[in-house]
Amino acid sequence: MYAIKVENLVKKFGNFRAVNGISFKVKKGEIFAFLGPNGAGKTTTVHILTTLLKPTEGKAEVAGLDVVREAKEVRKKIGIVFQDPSIDRDLTAYENMLIHGGVYGLSGAKLREKIEGLLKFVELWDFKDKLVKHFSGGMQRRLEIARSLLHEPEVLFLDEPTLGLDPQTRDHVWSYIETMREEHDMTIFLTTHYMEEAEKLADKIAIIDHGKIIAEGSCEKLKRMVGNDVIYIKVENCAECFKGEFIRSCKVLQDGRIRIAVENTAEALPKIFELAKENGVKIIEATYHQPTLNDVFLHLTGREIRDEGGEFFRKAIARARMRR
Amino acid sequence: MRAFAVMVYRQLKRFSRARSRVAGMIINPLIWMIFFGVGWSGVFKDAKIFGGIDYLTYLAPGIFAMTVFNQSFISGVSVIWDREFGFLKEVLVAPASRKETIAGRIIGDSVVATVQGLVILLLTLLLTELRVAGILPALGVGLLLAVAFSSFGVSLATKIQSMEGFQMIMAVLMLPIIFLSGAIYPVSTMPWWMRLLAYINPLTYAVDGARNMLTGVEGIFPLSTDLAVLGFLALAFLGIAMFAFERSTIE
Repeated sequence: MYAIKVENLVKKFGNFRAVNGISFKVKKGEIFAFLGPNGAGKTTTVHILTTLLKPTEGKAEVAGLDVVREAKEVRKKIGIVFQDPSIDRDLTAYENMLIHGGVYGLSGAKLREKIEGLLKFVELWDFKDKLVKHFSGGMQRRLEIARSLLHEPEVLFLDEPTLGLDPQTRDHVWSYIETMREEHDMTIFLTTHYMEEAEKLADKIAIIDHGKIIAEGSCEKLKRMVGNDVIYIKVENCAECFKGEFIRSCKVLQDGRIRIAVENTAEALPKIFELAKENGVKIIEATYHQPTLNDVFLHLTGREIRDEGGEFFRKAIARARMRR
Repeated sequence: MRAFAVMVYRQLKRFSRARSRVAGMIINPLIWMIFFGVGWSGVFKDAKIFGGIDYLTYLAPGIFAMTVFNQSFISGVSVIWDREFGFLKEVLVAPASRKETIAGRIIGDSVVATVQGLVILLLTLLLTELRVAGILPALGVGLLLAVAFSSFGVSLATKIQSMEGFQMIMAVLMLPIIFLSGAIYPVSTMPWWMRLLAYINPLTYAVDGARNMLTGVEGIFPLSTDLAVLGFLALAFLGIAMFAFERSTIE
């Protein structure tokens, strides 16, 4: 059973193809990450999947329902944390939750109970009666996460959930996301341009660039696309190359270290130690380099995923000015 | 009905929080009343064109209607803000009826605008000879006016794409609507083409009705006509706004 099914999705704005024929499937209970630079089409895809935009071409199903024909039913099954803050700054945390619950048809003691549970979950219960405008960026984000869980969505969309947050808060948010998946068996669709985030959270990653998915798979699978892990070892006596069917290439470097290219460090390293023991070679030092998702993106596009935090702050400033 | 009630609650709650904003909105009409009104009332000391009352008393219902109009129209159009900065998306992605949600917002905003009108009326009581008994019925007129213009603002907002468009609308529409309503000078002494515009201006009927209730001066139209026109416009614009919002997207 798939929680999200997308086939040949296209979204045009005028002549510009923001999303240019993407297809993918997300299994139930999976964390699926859309990784790509700003402007790659991540948010547009989220907006289509959450029924805010209509696709120009193609088909998308969320929780088994068509996002165009059965939009209203889809809306009952999804929760979303938008990229831009969408909470009421003039209201308290509690009032924000209350209003959201009301819009989703919840009320009474059951709603109050849920609000308490969720505000405690994101560690905001002590601040429930504080106005949101006095909250830090991280607290606002946590409140939005709590709010999105209020109606127990089957599929949760998180659009750049840690954009502009400090590393500590980011860790916090990550742990919430992991808890949510474990405790509620929720399907989570996440967009990000932070490699670590995709790597840490996602079961499956789709790398998107210029409106197209250019690679898809588990983190390990993607990394294997760029090639080998490389192990460097330093030995006490004679520096000689190792031989074995798992070794792709081996070279003695000028500084005496041995460079061994392997498919998988985790599997190869013990084998190398075994080989060394058999041949009476003593290893003093072993280091390795594994390709990162950044290497993958670089390999596929020739560019790096840049961290463009600037836009977020410009928007935040503009908002502060306009809100009088 | 839950979404409707919740939106009314939201608008009222937001209003109760934004004290400095509320103060700012009340200061503007008071400046009109005091500096503009008191200034001209000296000039018009012996004038007969105001139906036998002094100019300040004549002006007060106009300023009341102007306040309600300003507040309700701006709050309606400010749905654009919500589109730009979040809350609209939050509503559009919810399973609740959009018609119900926006109706709740409009009614909430209208109550807020009427309350602001009431504050102005109470303050002007000190300067003028308004009939206290007319205040309650005048608030009814204010509420109908607010629903009409708040809805009108929402309908516009669903069509406007940018902030620049918002500024344009404000500049082009708001002042003429006020000047062509009889709020600050009588419609009867206007040239025929201005009078024509005044007759198709919804604000004219609110000013006319409120003035009749608050000062006893005979209006341009019978009170029943004022109320019928306002009631019809409030319902019609509310309906249009609900449909326009139902079909609005974030594109």
